[in-house]
Amino acid sequence: MTLSAKAFQRWLQSIAPDASTADVCRVSGIKRTTLAQQLVRGKVSVSTVVAISRAYKINPVAALAGFDAYNVLAGPPRPPTRSELVSQISTADLLRGLLARPAMDAAQGAAAPALNPAPHATSVKNWVDAIDDGEVRHRVSAATGVAPQNYSAQLTANRLSAELAVATALAAGVGPAGGLVATGIITEDEAGWPPDARQAALASLTDGELTTLAGDRLQAMGKVLRRQEQDQAQTEKIWENLG
Amino acid sequence: MIETLQWTTLAICAVISVARIPSTLRGENRSLFGIFALMTLAILLSIQGPYVAIDQALGGINLANLLLRFVIFGAIFFMGVRISRGFGANSAHRLITGRTGMLVLLAVSVVMVALFFSMDTAGSSAGLSAISGKDARHFALVEYYGAAGRAYPAYVVLTLLPAMVRAARDRLPILVRIAAALLALGGVAVALTLLFPVIPPALGQIEFIINYTAVLCFVVGLALIWVAKVLSGRRAVSRRTSTET
Repeated sequence: MTLSAKAFQRWLQSIAPDASTADVCRVSGIKRTTLAQQLVRGKVSVSTVVAISRAYKINPVAALAGFDAYNVLAGPPRPPTRSELVSQISTADLLRGLLARPAMDAAQGAAAPALNPAPHATSVKNWVDAIDDGEVRHRVSAATGVAPQNYSAQLTANRLSAELAVATALAAGVGPAGGLVATGIITEDEAGWPPDARQAALASLTDGELTTLAGDRLQAMGKVLRRQEQDQAQTEKIWENLG
Repeated sequence: MIETLQWTTLAICAVISVARIPSTLRGENRSLFGIFALMTLAILLSIQGPYVAIDQALGGINLANLLLRFVIFGAIFFMGVRISRGFGANSAHRLITGRTGMLVLLAVSVVMVALFFSMDTAGSSAGLSAISGKDARHFALVEYYGAAGRAYPAYVVLTLLPAMVRAARDRLPILVRIAAALLALGGVAVALTLLFPVIPPALGQIEFIINYTAVLCFVVGLALIWVAKVLSGRRAVSRRTSTET
């Protein structure tokens, strides 16, 4: 959900009382036309608030919590669950972690390689899968009025609006900022996730758990790739016959 | 208004046919050029002025109208073959090129030719309107003749319609999906021509609009697929060169 221009102006007043719109755009790297358009329409995007917060060295989660629609973000950050942390490790990193395990290759056994920062190519879908008890999608849909197929479409595209990300976290009973990390709106650090928490979560997985998880990821990835290949083949056939 | 529609359609068909000439000379999908050329000829034969001129050259007994029907059958047949193959509509392909399709084509052709020669067709007149006005018997014969001429195209497009609707909703490139939607719309228009006998004469203009909508949808739809292919080829080439540099 976007934020009202009025509330945004009030917030901006409180953090940068003397700054002009031009100053704000310059320090935050937002295009002036973009901000002007959002203000005219009365709908300021979440990413605008995040960018400005970062420019003024304010925690974006705390800044968002000041707006009515995101007041659930207020309060001390809740630590992420282990499955949330693992969901934010990219498939490539998971596989590297698996290959470094002695169970895979006795000769290895070195420390697991460093992880790439979240989000990754399937981070949104993996995050929802990690916190889903089987009913979360229905509860989100009921709470927000977003049709289940639209919700699924966003997950497939590895996208989720900030509003849905927060609603999903609430519906699953996990920390409210987790979804914002998975969608890449905020960083792990900004969400209050301890540094190396993902690394620790990965290390805590048993060989069996890690292998199964990597297998699941590979299977999902294979499905997506195969579908893309089928689409490509279909398109080529159309062009071969009708192009 | 009808005249404008007719000549615009003719111009669009002619331009696309001409645009296809280079790729046809290179040997790419020659039958596609055939489809566009046949459509152009069909439109030409459906406009009063050119129709009369061509029919006079053929003896002035409206043979040009019979020719028009077979030109349409040819265009529709090749279109059906290409589209069903391209969109992987195997059942449609079988229904068009298999025994059923050939039987339908043969039966419709025989009936149409028989009806044509059972009429006194002297006096060139586009759409056989002058023949139809001769007497009640001729009116009925022209109606049946017209219905036979619309039956085969309707048969072909109805076999293709499900595949087109599916393709329009599929995960294909957007231009291809738009093209499939246009082809489906053209198919619906052709199917609607089956209802012509129940359209009151006062609304005769609707028949023209439906006919030309169908042709325009088909021609533009097919051309769009071609454009999509050319664009994607260009994109692939530029991607390759950009990674090389």
